Amino acid sequence: MSLRAAIIGYGKMGQIRHRAMERHGGFEVVAACDTHTDFDAGIPLMTDPAKVYDYDPDVIFCCVPNMMIPDTVCEALSRGKHVFSEKPPGRNSADVRRMQEAEATHPELVLKFGFNHRFHDAIESALQLIEGGTMGDLYFMRGVYGKAGGADYAKNWRNDPEQSGGGILIDQGIHMLDLFLMFADRFTDVQSFVQRKFWTDVPVEDNAFALMKNPKGVVASLHSSATQWQHRFTLELYTHGGFISVNGILSASGTYGTEVLNVALNRLDKDGNPIPNPESQEIRFTEDRSWDKEIAEFHAAVTKGTPIRCGTSQQALDVMSLVEQIYAADADWSSGLAARSVKAV
Amino acid sequence: MYTPVFIDDLPDVSSISNRKSELYRLTRARALADLLLDETANWQERACPGCGQDRSQSGNFSQAMVPFHRCSHCNTIYAARVPDQARLEALRTRLLAEAGNTETSAAAGSRREFEFVSILNWIRLTEARTATSAGGLLPHVLDYRFCSESPAWPGAVERLGKNRDWRFMPLDAKAAAGNFADLRDQLQANPPEAVLLNTEMDRVADPAGLLRVIRANAPRGTLVFVATSCADGLEYEILGADSPSFVPLDRLNIFSVKGFETLARELGYEPLEISTPGRLDAVILQRYFTEIENADVPFWSGFFREADKDRLRDLQILLQRSLRSGVMRFVLKT
Ligand SMILES: [Zn+2]
Repeated sequence: MSLRAAIIGYGKMGQIRHRAMERHGGFEVVAACDTHTDFDAGIPLMTDPAKVYDYDPDVIFCCVPNMMIPDTVCEALSRGKHVFSEKPPGRNSADVRRMQEAEATHPELVLKFGFNHRFHDAIESALQLIEGGTMGDLYFMRGVYGKAGGADYAKNWRNDPEQSGGGILIDQGIHMLDLFLMFADRFTDVQSFVQRKFWTDVPVEDNAFALMKNPKGVVASLHSSATQWQHRFTLELYTHGGFISVNGILSASGTYGTEVLNVALNRLDKDGNPIPNPESQEIRFTEDRSWDKEIAEFHAAVTKGTPIRCGTSQQALDVMSLVEQIYAADADWSSGLAARSVKAV
Repeated sequence: MYTPVFIDDLPDVSSISNRKSELYRLTRARALADLLLDETANWQERACPGCGQDRSQSGNFSQAMVPFHRCSHCNTIYAARVPDQARLEALRTRLLAEAGNTETSAAAGSRREFEFVSILNWIRLTEARTATSAGGLLPHVLDYRFCSESPAWPGAVERLGKNRDWRFMPLDAKAAAGNFADLRDQLQANPPEAVLLNTEMDRVADPAGLLRVIRANAPRGTLVFVATSCADGLEYEILGADSPSFVPLDRLNIFSVKGFETLARELGYEPLEISTPGRLDAVILQRYFTEIENADVPFWSGFFREADKDRLRDLQILLQRSLRSGVMRFVLKT
C-alpha cells in the first residue's frame, strides 16, 4: 500500500528521509515545506507548513528544529495524520508529554521518533547476543559518542537552548542514552559533570559525562562530546560471560568509521577464572541500512498495524527524562543554566 | 551473510614446528604409494570438486605421486584422481590403528582444549545469532569423525562442553560402507540440531556425497559447521605443494571459499557464515623464508624475513578480513 507523505522541514534530515522513502517504494512524497523553496526538489515546495495538508497526505515527516517539533507533531495528529518525527523529541520531557497527550486522543494513529541508532546492524546484532542469553548477565556499559563541534557551532540553532533544549548531550549523546535504555531499561541513580570547554560564549554544554545505575545494578557511563576532535562512537557491553563492543557507526557524514562489532566469550582456566584477552569475533558492517529499516518499520506500523519497536513516545519520554536528570545531577551546571536562561529572557 | 574475523594472539613458531612431523608425513606418503600400487584399487578421475570445472582447464599444482590441480575458475586445489571412498576409509582406519594413541600427552590435551573452546564459542555465537531466525538452539551436536583424527578431542569436549550433548561418530569403515551409511542412519535415528565436520572435507574422496547425505537426512534448518583448509590462504598461494600443511592423503580437497560456497549452494545449502580464521599463515611463511635462505619470492621473502611479531599479526588479521587465510569455516543451513 502506497502512503502519501509530506515532509515538514526539508533540510538535511528531510532529504535523507525523502531518499529512504524512495528506496522503500511504499511512499509517494507529495509535498515538502521549508524556509526556502528556491530549488528543484522534484516535488511541490512551500514555506507554510499548513499548506502541505492541501496535498492530502496520509503521513507527515516532521524534520524541523527541536522547538518546532511539538507544535508540528500535535498539529499533524489533530488532523488525523500518522507522524514520523526526528529526534530529539522536542526540547524536554514536557514537550514529549504534550505530544503524548495528542497521541492519546488519536490511538488509531502511529507516532514514531527517529532514534535510528537502534536500527544499525552492529547494534541489532549486539542486542540479539545479549537477549539470546549467551553472554550472561549484563554488568556494565560504556559509551563514548563525540564529534568536533563544527564551523558554525556558535551560530547553529542546535546550540541555542531556547530552540534546542541543550547542547551536544541532547543532540548526539541522546542516541547513546537511547541505546543504554534499550539494554538497561531505566536508570534510577544518575551522576554527572556537564561542561563548556571550547565554546565558552555559547550557553550550552560541549561535554557531558554521566554515570548511571539501573535497579538491577547495571552501571552505564557516558561521555558525550563536541570537542572530540577525532570523531568517535564506542559502545562496550561487559557481561558475566564475555563482552561486546561496537566501534564506529555508519553515518551520513561517514566520519565515525566502519561499524565494527567485536564479541568474545571467555575462556576459563581450570579453576573457572576467565583468561584475559579471549579470542574475539570481529564483524564489520559497511552498509548503513538503518534509515531503510526505520522507514520500513514506520510503513509496516501504518499499513499493517505492527507495533513500533524503536522510537515510541514512551521511549522518547524516557530518554528526555534521562537527559534532564543528567543536566540536573551536576549542581554547578544546573544552577548556572538557570542563571543563563534568566539572562536570555 | 556474516564474515567474521577471529582475533586472537598468534602462536609462537616453536609451538607449530612439529605440527606435521616428518614421520607422519612419510607414513602418509607411503600409504598413498601402497594404494597406487594396489591393482585392486579403483581410482576415479574427477573434475574440480568445488565448481565442477573440467580438469583440462586447470594448472597442475604438484607432480607428486598423485597429480594435484588448482582450479583456474574457483582456485580449489584437488587430487585429480581419488580412490573410492570405501577404500580410503579402510586405509584411514588402518593408519589410525597403526599410529596408536599418540595424542594423549598433556600438550596434546591442552591444544585440543584450546581448539575445542574456539569451536564451541563459534557454535555458541552462531547459535545466539540464528536463534530467532532459525527458531531454535543447538543442544545436540553430531561430531562426525574428528574424534578419530584427534584422540584427545573427546576428553577436551567432556571437560569443557557442559550443558550440550556432543555425540561422537568415529571413523567406522565398515558401517560407513563407502557411502556414509553410518551417518545417514545416525541422522535418521537421532536428528541433531547441528553437525560438525572438522577437517573432514579435506580428507574424503567424495565431499559432495558427504554433504548430500547430511542434506537428505537431517531435518530442515539443521546447521552444519564446516572447518577445513582454504586454498585461498596465503600459505597455499605462496608455498603451494611446499606448504608444511600439505600432506596429500590428508588434503585430497583444499577448497577455496568460492569453490566450497558453490558446492554448498549447488546441493541446496544456505551459507550463513564464511570466515577464514587461520592463525598460522604468517608464522609458517616466516619460518619457511628464514629456514630456506635461497627461497626467493618477490616482495614476500623480504617481507617475512624482516617482519616482527607485531607485523605478522597485522598481516594475519588482514588475511582473515580478506578471506585469505589457510583455514576456513562455513556455517551452512540445510
Ligand atoms: Zn573449481
